[in-house]
Amino acid sequence: MGDKPIWEQIGSSFIQHYYQLFDNDRTQLGAIYIDASCLTWEGQQFQGKAAIVEKLSSLPFQKIQHSITSQDHQPTPDSCILSMVVGQLKADEDPIMGFHQMFLLKNINDAWVCTNDMFRLALHNFG
Amino acid sequence: MGDKPIWEQIGSSFIQHYYQLFDNDRTQLGAIYIDVSCLTWEGQQFQGKAAIVEKLSSLPFQKIKHSITSQDHQPTPDSCILSMVVGQLKADEDPIMGFHQMFLLKNINDAWVCTNDMFRLALHNFG
Repeated sequence: MGDKPIWEQIGSSFIQHYYQLFDNDRTQLGAIYIDASCLTWEGQQFQGKAAIVEKLSSLPFQKIQHSITSQDHQPTPDSCILSMVVGQLKADEDPIMGFHQMFLLKNINDAWVCTNDMFRLALHNFG
Repeated sequence: MGDKPIWEQIGSSFIQHYYQLFDNDRTQLGAIYIDVSCLTWEGQQFQGKAAIVEKLSSLPFQKIKHSITSQDHQPTPDSCILSMVVGQLKADEDPIMGFHQMFLLKNINDAWVCTNDMFRLALHNFG
């Protein structure tokens, strides 16, 4: 427990919490964002907790399951934490798809919140 | 030119410059990093301009070509710029591979430098 740098502990804790919330009840994700938060979802921009939660709640699937392939964490010069995730997801009965997501976490009043969130599906043709 | 938000202009300018440098002579990348910069390359951490340039210069290919599939940019609460890139690359005669990379840019003494950089190859099995 004491081996990993603190930013890695906070980052991986956040990641675990985020996807657990997302997969079980994504309407509850509001707690991790603030009014200054930005989300870019597949190239579309959303500003602020309310708009972000509305977007995520209205995504057109009932069931969703994320699985993390890799996660990387770094501290930033302004004392924030950057996390980059590569994984796969399965929505309803759709085929499994790869995704990448990154989060910028900031400590505000002793709580780590997400100020920046960017999500893209991994739609590459490897040929 | 005036249509895009300033962070998108700065972010996409940086992205273009970075991959141009990388593909033509990656030993020149030092100028974009500073002594507190962090790079995570395929899960390995490198700290500081010198260590980062050494890692990038010593990557085991002669020719490299990146092509960008998508790029997303956001401003952060601490006046930095976050950029997330999805693309493909071809090194020497190896098969084309997908990659994801993210950068955190900070304005120091009127120049935009990269303080945080994370790179992962996209090695997903879509089945």
